[in-house]
Amino acid sequence: MKNTIEQPILQVKDIHFRYNDEKETLKGISLDIHEGEKIAVLGSNGAGKSTFFLNINGVLKSSSGQIIYRGKTIDKKSLNELRKNVGIVFQDADNQIIASTVEAEVSFGPMNLKLPREEVVKRVDKALRYMNIFDFKKRAPHYLSGGEKKRVSIADIIAMESEIIIFDEPTAALDPLNAAMLEEVLGKMSEEGRTMLISTHDVDFAYRWADRAVVFSNGQIIADDTPLNIFKQEDILEQASLKHPTMFDIYRIMEENGMVPADLGAYPRNIQEFQAMVGKGA
Amino acid sequence: MNTIITILLILAAAAMFAHGFWKGRKNKHHFHIGHSHGGSSLDIDALAYASKLRNWNAGFKVLLATASLILCIAFNNIYVSVAVILMMGYLTVVIGELEFDHYLSMMTIPIVFMVVGAITIAIGYSLKPVGQYNLHVFNLFYIYCSNKSLLQAGVLILKALGAVSALYMMTLTTPLTELVSVLRKIHMPKLIVELMNMIYRYIFIMLETYTKLKNSAESRLGYCDFRTSCYSFGNIASNLFIVSLKKANAYYNALEARCYDGELNFLEDEKPVKSWQIVFGICFILGLVAIWLFTR
Repeated sequence: MKNTIEQPILQVKDIHFRYNDEKETLKGISLDIHEGEKIAVLGSNGAGKSTFFLNINGVLKSSSGQIIYRGKTIDKKSLNELRKNVGIVFQDADNQIIASTVEAEVSFGPMNLKLPREEVVKRVDKALRYMNIFDFKKRAPHYLSGGEKKRVSIADIIAMESEIIIFDEPTAALDPLNAAMLEEVLGKMSEEGRTMLISTHDVDFAYRWADRAVVFSNGQIIADDTPLNIFKQEDILEQASLKHPTMFDIYRIMEENGMVPADLGAYPRNIQEFQAMVGKGA
Repeated sequence: MNTIITILLILAAAAMFAHGFWKGRKNKHHFHIGHSHGGSSLDIDALAYASKLRNWNAGFKVLLATASLILCIAFNNIYVSVAVILMMGYLTVVIGELEFDHYLSMMTIPIVFMVVGAITIAIGYSLKPVGQYNLHVFNLFYIYCSNKSLLQAGVLILKALGAVSALYMMTLTTPLTELVSVLRKIHMPKLIVELMNMIYRYIFIMLETYTKLKNSAESRLGYCDFRTSCYSFGNIASNLFIVSLKKANAYYNALEARCYDGELNFLEDEKPVKSWQIVFGICFILGLVAIWLFTR
């Protein structure tokens, strides 16, 4: 899946980071992010995913290593360049929403980009319509439900028109309906060719959605490949305490029992693909 | 002249009530306030969001309320006070479509205070029977009140009620954010305005966190008797502090992630004052002045 011809949007080279005097949270992370990639970031709690996100967004400053955005090495002066082009949707929407109306909240990012008023209004309206929350424009965030708040927090980032959008465990604390809504939005965004990173504990989701998976463990990247290849490597799964996706296991069992030819290697990623495979009379 | 003004005020009151009833019958008051979490939210805030008067320009409402308040106090005139009470009540309840019961229950709090305060003005005691009404107590002294002191108390109550209703009109129809943006426009120091914004947002987060902590303590019998309640409350309070610090940190990160550079800038929507509102405001103020002139 890696596109080696094109220059990556964001290059992270061997960054180290520690909070205060604690032990290192990031121990030399290197990652290239290319345009249009859908990357799932896997790993247990405390593996350094969120810290890594804050680093590549420029909120936290790594003690060593480089971050290169479109061929330009980021230093203190160009930190805002990074914040402008890498947006984070935080795990807890309540920690992100600061304004007292939905409209004001979504306008916060564009206002900080010092855009003219008309442009801000245009972007806010567009983002609200995109997330289907235009009717909540004048409402106060504390009178919204959890799922609605999540949508507001995504609209926040859409209005900034960041090149790379990071979702930090977006499906945590969402009910199935809102999780489905979120996946729909993610699908829509990937159709538009946006570059996205999503950290998640939901291996089924990572398996069906991502075209690249990065596994964090103990402050290091221990695997960076297609989800399928990663889920085939037992030692990595064990190290990162990950499970197999259900579809993957089902296919394995079918393969072992001779229900599909051993050399087919179809590995359906979702129910639709599975249905198509079974329907073909495999 | 005074009788004419009285009749006019009674007629106006009747018309306002009639409009209220007619409107109330036509649309059964149904305002939905969305989801309030944990059962603890600030009533006034929710009502302000639901008010139909919300789409009036906030600055105009503030101006109208302050002007009414100042005139009501400065004129110290019973007719002016009644006119202010009527008009402000009309704006809040009938035009703003706030439920009358809500309004009344909100009004009871200041009314109780005022009545208690006014009693001390209306009633005096003396050793001789004075005043129009007096009561002999234990053959020792007289509790008395006179027509004059009663009138004085009445004027005072109505004056205070007028002032309160003017401020209620402002607070019950304007969400705090809009009031803050009015402050910003009159060049209140930025620091105060931003602090107000953040504190307002934080109140709800803290309330929510507190409710969650309290519920979890309650579910484990943390409030079974007085001693345990004190203990649980203390723990919750200290925990709330730590949680707040953590949240503050998370907040700061989220701000930084969206290019925060030390200034909170939000898009404020413009609700232009409509010309009929200005005409109405001027007419109302002039009316108050006229009433005062005629009944002086």
